[in-house]
Amino acid sequence: MSLQAFLFYLLAGLTGLCAISVVVTQNIVRAAAWLLFTLAGVAGLLFLLGANFVGATQLFVYVGGTLVLVVFGVMLTAQGPFITMKTGAAEWGISMIVGLLLYGVLSVALLTKPMKFTSEESTQGEELRRTTVLGEALMSVDGATQKAEVTGVPAEKRKELPNKGERSTVGYLLPFEIVSIHLLVVLIGAAYLARTKRRPAGRAGGVNPPVV
Amino acid sequence: MLDFASKPGLLFVVATLLPLASFVLILVAFAIRTALRSSPEGSIGQQLYQASGGDVPSRWPAWLATAAIGLAFVCSATGFVWFLDDHKQIESLEEEARHGKASDRELAHEKLKELEAHWVGSIDWVRLGASDDPRQGLALQLGFRIDHLSAIMFLMVTLVATLIHLFSLGYMAEEKQLHVEDHQVHGEEGHYRRRGRFGRFFLFLSLFCFSMLNLVLADNLFQVFVSWELVGICSYLLIGFYFERSSASNAANKAFITNRIGDAGFVIGLMIVWTYFGTFNFQELFSRVRAPVQDSHGEKLDLAAQIVRGNVTGEGKGKKIIFDPQGPEVLLFPRQRGHFHAEWITPGGDQDVRDDPKERQFGHMPYWLLVAAGLGIFLGCVGKSAQFPLHVWLPDAMEGPTPVSALIHAATMVAAGVYLVGRCFPLFTAEVLLVIAYTGGITLFVAATIAVVMRDIKRVLAYSTVSQLGYMMLALGVGGWVAGLFHLLTHAFFKALLFLGSGAVIYGCHHEQDLLKMGGLYPKMKITALTMLMAVLAISGIPGFSGWYSKDVIVAQAMGFASVHPEHVLLFLLPLVTAGLTTFYMFRMWLLAFAGEPRDHHVYEHAHEAPGIMTGPLVVLAVFSVGVAWGWPFFSSAFPFIDSESSWLEHQLHHAQPDAVQASFGLNKAEWEAARDGRLSGQYFGKPPIGPELAELEKQKKERYWAEEYSHLAGNLALGVVIIGLVFAFALYYYRVLDPAEGEAQFPGIARFLTHKWYFDELYSALIVQPALLVSDWCKNIDTRCIDWLIDNSAAITVRVAEKDGRFDNRVIDGMVNLFATVAYGVGNWFRRWQTGYLRSYVLFLVLAAVGIFVILSYFINATG
Amino acid sequence: MPEAIGLNHYLLLGAILFVCGAVCMATKRNAIGVLMGVELVLNGATVNFVAFAHFNPAFAVEGQVFALFVIVMAAAEAAIALAIVLNFYNNHLTVDVDTAEELKG
Repeated sequence: MSLQAFLFYLLAGLTGLCAISVVVTQNIVRAAAWLLFTLAGVAGLLFLLGANFVGATQLFVYVGGTLVLVVFGVMLTAQGPFITMKTGAAEWGISMIVGLLLYGVLSVALLTKPMKFTSEESTQGEELRRTTVLGEALMSVDGATQKAEVTGVPAEKRKELPNKGERSTVGYLLPFEIVSIHLLVVLIGAAYLARTKRRPAGRAGGVNPPVV
Repeated sequence: MLDFASKPGLLFVVATLLPLASFVLILVAFAIRTALRSSPEGSIGQQLYQASGGDVPSRWPAWLATAAIGLAFVCSATGFVWFLDDHKQIESLEEEARHGKASDRELAHEKLKELEAHWVGSIDWVRLGASDDPRQGLALQLGFRIDHLSAIMFLMVTLVATLIHLFSLGYMAEEKQLHVEDHQVHGEEGHYRRRGRFGRFFLFLSLFCFSMLNLVLADNLFQVFVSWELVGICSYLLIGFYFERSSASNAANKAFITNRIGDAGFVIGLMIVWTYFGTFNFQELFSRVRAPVQDSHGEKLDLAAQIVRGNVTGEGKGKKIIFDPQGPEVLLFPRQRGHFHAEWITPGGDQDVRDDPKERQFGHMPYWLLVAAGLGIFLGCVGKSAQFPLHVWLPDAMEGPTPVSALIHAATMVAAGVYLVGRCFPLFTAEVLLVIAYTGGITLFVAATIAVVMRDIKRVLAYSTVSQLGYMMLALGVGGWVAGLFHLLTHAFFKALLFLGSGAVIYGCHHEQDLLKMGGLYPKMKITALTMLMAVLAISGIPGFSGWYSKDVIVAQAMGFASVHPEHVLLFLLPLVTAGLTTFYMFRMWLLAFAGEPRDHHVYEHAHEAPGIMTGPLVVLAVFSVGVAWGWPFFSSAFPFIDSESSWLEHQLHHAQPDAVQASFGLNKAEWEAARDGRLSGQYFGKPPIGPELAELEKQKKERYWAEEYSHLAGNLALGVVIIGLVFAFALYYYRVLDPAEGEAQFPGIARFLTHKWYFDELYSALIVQPALLVSDWCKNIDTRCIDWLIDNSAAITVRVAEKDGRFDNRVIDGMVNLFATVAYGVGNWFRRWQTGYLRSYVLFLVLAAVGIFVILSYFINATG
Repeated sequence: MPEAIGLNHYLLLGAILFVCGAVCMATKRNAIGVLMGVELVLNGATVNFVAFAHFNPAFAVEGQVFALFVIVMAAAEAAIALAIVLNFYNNHLTVDVDTAEELKG
């Protein structure tokens, strides 16, 4: 067993177990904690796959940002009865059956029709270069992405296409910008939504004022 | 617009329209007041209504109507004088045109045309077809044509109507009250009370005057027909003036329905005329039926003014009519006469004819249709003039107010039938004229016999009217055109006087009409009695009075006719005997009413003379009754009282006599003698003497009508009969030598027969009314038993089928629809359960769907490869 | 181990994360819990993207770019979701998603 395999099994097992724990635990605070480990495990797996930048982002954004938000949410709402909310056994049963069914379908699909890709030798230099390439792709630098053949078109027709069927360089600057703006809009929207509104006195707290 | 100088005939049109204007004004005022009356209490409308008199009958309609008819009289009098003046000029111009120098002739002809245009005029009322139609005459026209007859009629109608309007102002006075008690109608609480109808009476009178004048004015048959119906409806309205009385409303219905029978014949006549002539204009009709008197060169035709008969041979353009006095076809002369040769129409000759003749071509029509047209028009006249067998309505029409009886049912409207027969004379063939003569003969005798036994003063007069109208018809039928219309005019005056007199008596006796309850009234109402005596003398034919002149001519005419046609001697005997009867019943009436001892003291004591507004017209009418037929100037004749031919009026009427009269009857003395001795081949009137004899006779100057040969003889005979009647009347009712009751007792059969008016009403009831009721009863039974049965059953079947159908609809069709709806609802409801609203179950469904899609996709992927 | 760690291993892990997320969403009554399930699902997807990027050279850059987008989107989604949850809490005084059943048919 190579180191890579070992690390994979370790991380994969950690991640999977933590994920299951998230599902299983009844306490929301604990679920948040288990989620933290799951996300961290995923980040590890990403590193393992050589996607250093993505993994880092996963840590920063997810573990550092999103999860904090979730925890805040938990803390803001976790009052007595809401910390643990039991779900009925029947629901559990149904959910588990459905979940297992889905997992069965997915795994059967994966294992019966395995995808064949030529696995590349992952080297450190390559990985470095990859991160750079990622940045260039996001900046739409020419030549950053590989040119690949256009699929789905018969070979004889391919030459009639522009660039003779060769894919031109793809840049992700525009999607990046769109995502950025999207994020901004979402933040503003979140702030707007989350802000406390003054509600009519009659409905304050949903409770009628005490009658003296 | 009203240029009287160039068209003085318009004076008569104005005279006609004045009563119409009065009618319209009164009607509009009534309409407005009726509208105001229904407006709510206290409103402006109600105030206006109260201010304009309220419920109290207004008097101004009476004054307006009287003024209108008075003005109409003034107009027609002016027009008449003008017309006579023009006519004098026309006569002298005609003389000049015939015998004057060549240069003067042209001028004379032109002036003649101009003068003749004074008295005719017409406008299109309804145009039928395009104007470029070859038959341009296809138009219903409104027009007037004034000749001596219509002008004199105008004078008579307007004068009598004016006097009767004045009389009515007094007679109808009780209608001026707010409440009128009708003693003949019994309501739940005593007598029936109603509002006075003073205005309504004069409204109808105005409409009647307009209609009657329009009838006289008309220059075409259709206008006559329209007026004919208008006077009919006026008569209906006025007979039913007291419509609360069932007798009055029944009488109105009877008059109207009886007239409908006559008018049906009239319409048939109109249709035949329209079909074959395409025009209703009198002049055009006559010029198409009757041959011209002379041709373009002034040569007299052998068949002048005759109806030319013959046999039609050939087809299409080769069609010819070969003249034959007994032929089945009648030659129709061209619409436009143009140049005309006497040789074209000679006895025994022939002439080209067309089925659809152009302007200057000859046409033809079946003779029997011409007879039918004549009979049809005469049937209309029979209805309107109350001739046998349609005379039954006139006596019942006396239910109307007495002035109405005087104006409509004695003087004018009923005379319209006679007037129309006179107008249409050229259309009538020999057969039709014979029918007219016999109808008149029967009527005059039947009515006179009934009048002898009537007790109701107005009924006596009504039957007398029928009888006198019979005289006129008889006169026309035997060729006494002038005689008949002359009698019409004189009769109008004395019969109006008689009716008004009876009205005054009834007024004075508080609505007592029974002669046997009167008697001895002379000292109480001298003016009425004396004026009525004038009328009685006139109608009896006492020499010197107007009736004598006209009746004398009629009897003479009948005698002359009977002398040529001995087989028709009845047509002479009937009027002769009836002359005596007339005298008898008229004096009976007068003596019963005014002479002797009072029979009913209650009536006698309350009797009083009528007011001046009523006696005034009586006096005026009495003057006319006596002198209307006198010569003018009076002493122009050597013996004005015994020379019946000196009448000025009669001479005027001679001017209007159509040529056809002379052609049918107008043999001169020599011709008549020839006919009497059998020297002429033409034995029968209407079939004139043809051949060499005529040519010889033509050379002799025509001086007199052949009837005049008998004038003095007939006059003396009639006078004798009259005196007999007079003696009988005085013997029975004044000197009481004989008791009338005894006479009745001796001849109970005859008396009953006469008091039941020859059982005409019973006969009609049995022959027409009862069968009609029977048939309608049958029809009703068929209706209720068969048709209703069918309908009821089919309805029941329909209901049953519908029930079944409804059940099917409810169960099957509705069931199916409901089933679909239920299923859809159930499915929807079932699906609703999956719409839980829980976020978490949605997630589950999502996942399940993903699984499902995977499975299905993989199945397909595996299946395809 | 019979074979080296390949694509399928990662994909299976991604599937585990995905299924866990789905089940989490289906079972948690707490709105925050549901949100956590969503995060798990998204992570499963991230793993898959990056695995594809790793094992398919033609997809090397794009896989990572999309993984980044997913992360960013998850962050945005979390922000929005939390805002919603807070509003929900303000309105219903609970975070039990079963009380939000207005969509019930």
